[in-house]
Amino acid sequence: MVKLILIICLNVGLSAGIYTHNCVGCHKKMPVKIDKFFYRYLLKYSSEENLKSALVSYLKNPTKEKTILQEGLLNRFGIKEKTVLNDENLKKAVDEYWQIYKIFGKLE
Amino acid sequence: MSKGWDTNLLLSEKKTLRSFFLLYILFTITLLSILGTIYYNFQKDLMLQKNRLELSYLANEQILKLKSLHVNFSKLRTYPRSTKFKSAIYDSSKKEIFSTFTNKNIEFDEIIYMQNDKIYLIKEPESYYLGTKYLVLEIQSNPKWLGAVYNTLLVYGIIIFLLMVVFGYFLLRLLLKPMREAIELLDRFIKDTTHELNTPVNAIMANIEMIDTSKLDEKLAKKIKRIDIGARTVSNLYQDLTYLTLAHKIISFNENIELKDLIEERIEYFALFCDSKKLTVSFTCRHKSSLHVDRKKLTKLVDNLFSNAIKYNKIKGSIKITLGQNYFEIYDSGRGIKKEKVEEMFQRYARADESVGGFGIGLSIVKMIAKEYSLHVEINSQEKEWTKVRVSW
Repeated sequence: MVKLILIICLNVGLSAGIYTHNCVGCHKKMPVKIDKFFYRYLLKYSSEENLKSALVSYLKNPTKEKTILQEGLLNRFGIKEKTVLNDENLKKAVDEYWQIYKIFGKLE
Repeated sequence: MSKGWDTNLLLSEKKTLRSFFLLYILFTITLLSILGTIYYNFQKDLMLQKNRLELSYLANEQILKLKSLHVNFSKLRTYPRSTKFKSAIYDSSKKEIFSTFTNKNIEFDEIIYMQNDKIYLIKEPESYYLGTKYLVLEIQSNPKWLGAVYNTLLVYGIIIFLLMVVFGYFLLRLLLKPMREAIELLDRFIKDTTHELNTPVNAIMANIEMIDTSKLDEKLAKKIKRIDIGARTVSNLYQDLTYLTLAHKIISFNENIELKDLIEERIEYFALFCDSKKLTVSFTCRHKSSLHVDRKKLTKLVDNLFSNAIKYNKIKGSIKITLGQNYFEIYDSGRGIKKEKVEEMFQRYARADESVGGFGIGLSIVKMIAKEYSLHVEINSQEKEWTKVRVSW
């Protein structure tokens, strides 16, 4: 039982690490916070499934057509590079991103 | 003779009338229901369209508030509420993001609709603020509207229904006219014939009774006997027709009648008829029974059944009469009745066999008398073999 709890904690810790190390780190350097990107995605894709799918698609193959960046930011920062994460880790990172900023259960 | 339908219309015609009327009423109700539904839906659409404009305006205001909340979501978390309506927001997969009402069955394909006295408006914002693809507004419908619609439906429904019933009545009279005329003609003919029969038949019977047949030679006595049978047949027919046309005017004098005595008396009365057909008549009294009825009417009932048993019997056939505790039955070895014709036998002018004389009114009279005294008449028959009529109480 103790082993199981330890494994779960380790897993959660590891996936949290993926998002923090691979996403937050870079976005911290940008003038627009990472949450603002989430709300822009939400504005365009509405549901969890659509949002996650669009985000994964963009991260794996970023193009001008797929980006939700505004013109000014696009000119300044350009299109990001392809993700180095494998599919599994990318999914974990996107899942955590959704969990942190989703609207469900936050409205009063 | 009564001009009322009770005596003028036959059972089958009454049945046809009932079926027609039932069908007509059913048709009227169906028509009214369809018209009512169309009117209700029309009024509902009208009411919804009146509400749509105001609800759309409120929905636009709510979308602006959602937009503001979307922009400031990192600082604000309070969902915008209003006293005028309740609302809910759903994402593109129709998953509820937040709701201030309890109804979970939203018809997303509609723009505006009514459900359980509540009006719902579905609005899709141009951008998915907070992920909102569908904004649903809920308001209570005005109960006065429904009351007014029901009142109109009820008042106009009753008026149209009554008009249709009156129309149906005249339509029915129009359809019945030729049928009624035919029945009246037949009844009038019977009444006139009856009237004309009375005096000569009485004269024949009275004179025959006065003849002392023992003093006559055998050949002449036989002829007189035949005349007697003929006169009695006509007399019976006369009595039947009189009963049929004046039944409603005949007052019953009920008394306790011993059935054994009555049946024996009638066997004697019909002896001449039986002899003429060489029939053997047997009477078995298993139990002595009495009925509190009018003697003339019970005699008429027995006579009709007995004369049928004679009339439809074959030469040298047999008639067996049995009297039990609460029934009596008359069996004859006659030509029988077809199974499908048994039910029709109680109708006036219905005859099982056209080759035998008669008007087909005997069993109709039996039925009338049986109905008056709550007697149950049952016919069982084997075609070309036998017929058994059982009267029970």
